[in-house]
Amino acid sequence: MSTSFSGTLADNANRSLKEFFLMMQEFFFFSIRAFITIPKLRRYWRDFLDQAKIAGTDSLPIVLVSSISIGALLAVEVGNLLEDFGAKTMLGRSTALSIIRELGPLLMGLMLSARYGSRNGAELGAMKISEQIDALRAFGTDPIAKLVMPRLTAALVVFVPLTAIADFSGLYSAALIAEHYHKIDPGIFWNAVFPRLVLKDFVVGFLKAPVFAVIITLVSSFNGFIATGGTAGVGRSTIKGIVVSSGLLLIANFYVSKLVLENM
Amino acid sequence: MIELQNVTLRYGDRQILDGISLAIEDSKIKAVLGPSGVGKSTILKLILGLLKPNNGRILIDGVDITSMKESQLYPIRKKMGIVFQGNALFDSLTISENLGFFLRENEKLSEDEIEERVREQIEFASLEGYEDSLPEDLSGGMKKRVAIGRALIFRPGMILFDEPTAGLDPVSSKKILGLIGSLRKKSGLGAVLVTHIIDDVFQVADSVAVLYKGKIIFDDDTEKLHDSNHPFIQSILSDKILEQ
Repeated sequence: MSTSFSGTLADNANRSLKEFFLMMQEFFFFSIRAFITIPKLRRYWRDFLDQAKIAGTDSLPIVLVSSISIGALLAVEVGNLLEDFGAKTMLGRSTALSIIRELGPLLMGLMLSARYGSRNGAELGAMKISEQIDALRAFGTDPIAKLVMPRLTAALVVFVPLTAIADFSGLYSAALIAEHYHKIDPGIFWNAVFPRLVLKDFVVGFLKAPVFAVIITLVSSFNGFIATGGTAGVGRSTIKGIVVSSGLLLIANFYVSKLVLENM
Repeated sequence: MIELQNVTLRYGDRQILDGISLAIEDSKIKAVLGPSGVGKSTILKLILGLLKPNNGRILIDGVDITSMKESQLYPIRKKMGIVFQGNALFDSLTISENLGFFLRENEKLSEDEIEERVREQIEFASLEGYEDSLPEDLSGGMKKRVAIGRALIFRPGMILFDEPTAGLDPVSSKKILGLIGSLRKKSGLGAVLVTHIIDDVFQVADSVAVLYKGKIIFDDDTEKLHDSNHPFIQSILSDKILEQ
């Protein structure tokens, strides 16, 4: 009995592992296809502009709200901590580093994963379920070039300025908190920010934007493309896309920081 | 001509098609009849190269498409049009835009030529006045007619219908079947009609293949279906609509 039970477990594990590797292989080819169709961007420039609007201007409010609130929160907490050590004037330096290197891009990435990624997953999943993706293929249109490549290029283009906006608004809200809550002169705050920031601080932060754009777009789109099982299947694939891309963002965030900080 | 030779298809452990062979002649209407979920729609996807068989060959006009790459398949697919079961119309595009979409995507035609072809299909589908409507504003039968118009937009030699009357009321079903019949009469267009409704087969098909448990158990002229002694065919002739 126990032998057959462990045998069944081993069989299930083998099958799951095989399915996982097959899916990874499929994802790999899907991603390659999304990149090699970038030369067709001129043909799909309208789709690109639509996606740039969705990922960019339409996402601005959520990026602003999250970066302003995290900047303010960081300024309150770090300011209180620094006060204990009599180092409140270092608030600008510490918040700037946290926001520009880590929190600005990461929070923007997580917000876009939830907003842009979920939209991609749900929209493409619904198209898959209603056979619209099959229709594209059947009538001679490459669905990856038409649907995924414009999303990928739009994210690659707009995520960098969104990171800059997230960084600036986070820092500005931190400066306001420093001035009005901790009573630190704005000149002291900004003097602790800019002269001390070096190139690698910006490289760490801004290199994350294209990495996050690739992760969010490809993971969410792929999950939409493989959706099965009706509307419930669309829901499942959308959730999976957000969960997986958010997890990958956290991992990528760590490794990009580590790589740049160790090598610059 | 479309030929399937000893085609086998499995999804994981599930055997969908078990070494089936079919020949679909030009300018003829061939029905594939079988219960829901038996793999009838899969046959259409195999013919278009949207799915690859595990074994066997698929020939379109003598060309083996089984191991063709996606880019090689596009010119082959243009020879055929498909009407999906759920129509697969783009819900954010108007009827005119849906009809002209693939011409704009894949053909180097002037805008005037595209509009002319769209107008032809609007007239063919009797959808004058609905050019700027969205698919959600149309009835099931009208959507089906748009999907047929879209399938005809490349002027193919063969059209594939996936359950063309499923979910339609009797009047709309009759209109759609009439449309399918008129296509063959007027334009000599061949068709593959996948259905689980036996009356549809008798109304329009020249020949019929019956798919049951992954195998073709009957493949001959439609009128000879009554002569078959197979118990499953006998049961479907009495039940008319097949349920798994």
